[in-house]
Amino acid sequence: MPGERDRLGSQTAERQDGPAPAGAVPAQAVAAARSGGRAGLVIAGHVARQVRRGALVWGIVFGGTVASSALAFASAYPTPAARRALVASLGSNLGVQALLGPARHIDTAAGFTAWRCLVLLCVVGGVWALLASTRALRGEEDAGRWELLLAGRTTRRRASASALAGLGAGLVLLWAITAVLTVATGRSPDVDFSLSASLYLSLALAAGPAIFLTVGALSSQLAATRRQAAGLGAAVLGVAYLLRMLADSTPSLSWLRWLSPIGWVEELRPLTGSRPTVLVPIALLVGVLAALTVHLAGVRDTGAGILPSRDTAPARTRLLDSPLGLAVRLTRPVTLGWAAAVGGLGLVIGLVANAAAQATSGSDMIRQFYERLGSQEQGAVSYTGAGFLTVGTLVALAASGQVGAIRQEEADEHLDHLLARPVSRRSWLAGRLAVATGALVVVALTAGVLTWAGAALQHTGIGLPRLLLAAVNTLPSATFVLGVGTLLYGLAPRVATAVAYGVVAWSLLLEMVGSLLKLSPWLLDLSLFHHVALVPAADPRWAAAGILAGIGLVAGIAGATAFDRRDLAAA
Amino acid sequence: MTTHSSAAGPAIRTEGLTKHYGSVPALQDLDLVVAPGEVLGFLGPNGAGKTTTIRLLLGLLRPTAGRAEIFGLDAQAQAVTAHALLAYVPGEAGLWPSLTGAEVLHLLGRVHGRVDTAYRDELVERFALDPSKKVRAYSKGNRQKVLLIAALMTRAELLVLDEPTSGLDPLMEQAFRECVREARRNGQTVFLSSHILAEVEAVCDRVAILRAGRVVEATFAGPVPDLSGVPGVAVVEAHDDRLRCQVYGPVEPLLRVLAETHVTHLIIREPSLEELFLAHYGAEPLLTAASTKEEATSHAR
Repeated sequence: MPGERDRLGSQTAERQDGPAPAGAVPAQAVAAARSGGRAGLVIAGHVARQVRRGALVWGIVFGGTVASSALAFASAYPTPAARRALVASLGSNLGVQALLGPARHIDTAAGFTAWRCLVLLCVVGGVWALLASTRALRGEEDAGRWELLLAGRTTRRRASASALAGLGAGLVLLWAITAVLTVATGRSPDVDFSLSASLYLSLALAAGPAIFLTVGALSSQLAATRRQAAGLGAAVLGVAYLLRMLADSTPSLSWLRWLSPIGWVEELRPLTGSRPTVLVPIALLVGVLAALTVHLAGVRDTGAGILPSRDTAPARTRLLDSPLGLAVRLTRPVTLGWAAAVGGLGLVIGLVANAAAQATSGSDMIRQFYERLGSQEQGAVSYTGAGFLTVGTLVALAASGQVGAIRQEEADEHLDHLLARPVSRRSWLAGRLAVATGALVVVALTAGVLTWAGAALQHTGIGLPRLLLAAVNTLPSATFVLGVGTLLYGLAPRVATAVAYGVVAWSLLLEMVGSLLKLSPWLLDLSLFHHVALVPAADPRWAAAGILAGIGLVAGIAGATAFDRRDLAAA
Repeated sequence: MTTHSSAAGPAIRTEGLTKHYGSVPALQDLDLVVAPGEVLGFLGPNGAGKTTTIRLLLGLLRPTAGRAEIFGLDAQAQAVTAHALLAYVPGEAGLWPSLTGAEVLHLLGRVHGRVDTAYRDELVERFALDPSKKVRAYSKGNRQKVLLIAALMTRAELLVLDEPTSGLDPLMEQAFRECVREARRNGQTVFLSSHILAEVEAVCDRVAILRAGRVVEATFAGPVPDLSGVPGVAVVEAHDDRLRCQVYGPVEPLLRVLAETHVTHLIIREPSLEELFLAHYGAEPLLTAASTKEEATSHAR
């Protein structure tokens, strides 16, 4: 392959940059070339600059989540009675623990903060770490830029180690910002964490990202494309989450926690009887994964993965008769991945709904909690309604992902091949959006059916029509995200993906803070999910759903019009 | 072939075509006419606006001013109809990595709507492409072959080629030139953007040079002053036993003359783009610069 690109013409025949005969090279130059230390620094610096902004943002989100949880606890549960009631309700609520991890000492600001933040931020930070490391260690190679670096004074092993070091620098930045904000929060008299407890908490919060940074690095060696590498890493994250979900919601299965790296992070127990010894297996795992990454980077060919991948395939042309069919074919694997993830979550929600309801029956506290979310029901239905908030968030995220995929088609210049042929921009975009909508419907309905299957196995008595309605109820907000993303795609394509994810992240943040603090209704109205009824625990709010979907539709049409008028923009 | 082209005027016509990115001009006031059946070489240094021009012709970019027509159809407003009459090969081959070559050819053929399948299979043979491979496993040259075949197999009235041979080996370059000659014989129009002069000279009737966004036209095969009596030789410099000359068009006549003398040394090279510019912008540098396509050193005995 590399030979091809050199044969551009006779003028390049006498290239000067090939290996010169040893006698002609001064010994000094050879010695300098062997050291290669500076090349490593350059790569590490390059990767660190790449992840700097993400680390900064997530450090602030981590610190902000700690601060908001701790301060909100102090204001929401000021009296010992209120705190006892909190323990009585959430302390034994296996359903909520299935989502957020075991609740220990949640009658204290420390215990409550650790419980709210640990698993949630482990997953969020883990996703960031996976994306960052697969981008640095496989994305660059995918794009052909890695070879340019490798042509410099370095080896594949050293280059990978340097990239890992750069990622590590980003992680340290994230940890440092989290630590500063946590220590500052801890100094508040209402909260009162000791300095060492604050630092240990921030360390525990950085442990998840550290693990998944190296998981992503290793999967980047195994898979041959960035998408496959990210998918592989996401599968590890999903399995780890589901294992600890089962462990935390089913006492007899609590040993499963030790099979999940997220379980190990839980067992660090920051602020609630710290267990620093658990840092040892985590550090070992990170070290082993990093060492394996560097080793495999040296063993494999550049551009290839360790896992076998077929370079040839029989032609499957059934779908390839139109741009629409192509979109279906390209979207299918991603859609199946989302359906598996969201469906798996639905299945577990269905399975634990009964247990969650029984554990909390008769608790005023929990009833108030659900009522604040908008539940009109009791028991398992109420829990399922809260669970579908998460499902809805994920479906909205899948919509953001579709906006990203639409933009990527253009950025990779694949779209040129279609639009230079007799295909109008409008018809292409309309078809692509239809496929995106179809993908979201598949993901949502899968969640509805699998939630019903889980609930039916436990004889919960929630009917399939009601859960399908709950699934459909997640779609208006996803349509909104898709439409607003399309509007940005038409107006400012380079920021469309970020805005589409930003809308979901912003809404999620408002919901998290809003469930603890009494935010002004005006502010809460700015959250997408605030307008979504808690189906199946409440009836759908058709008007609100119609308005969300309508805004999405109008924004989408406006975006398509703008797209029709602008230049195509490569990456 | 449709009869659209003959009735509707030039294959390509631009009038004051201008593109600015913010305040940065990428193309300024381009006026260009390409007649049906013509093979036009479109030359220019990097950054002169060659690709910008092509993307404007395809309606992928919106012009800041001016307009472009393809067979009389507006390149922006009637893009879909115009695109049915043309086929485009980009210089950078970003294709869907998960599809195989055969799948890409199938898709692009169906999207275009009109494919000479026998010719497609012949092209796959001639370019020695393994269509069962996935795009991600192709080298750059092989990806370029996929795009060339996808364009040529449509036998479109107009071929718009943006540095189409980048990454091809010399053998495949020859195959490409043969395809362009075939296209000309079939009456197709070819718009070939390139920086490889040998390629342009080998296949083009006419050359347009884009510099600072303006075009100066020159004819290669036209009548050239012939100082030594050999057709196509423009400038001759003789010192003692050396002969230096510049040749436009085919070199065979000169070689035939030289073959009758006792030649001990013969160097043939192509001029750089800069040399070509000098040849077009003034007679003075032509004599002093080493601006020869053909440089022969002959020792007469």
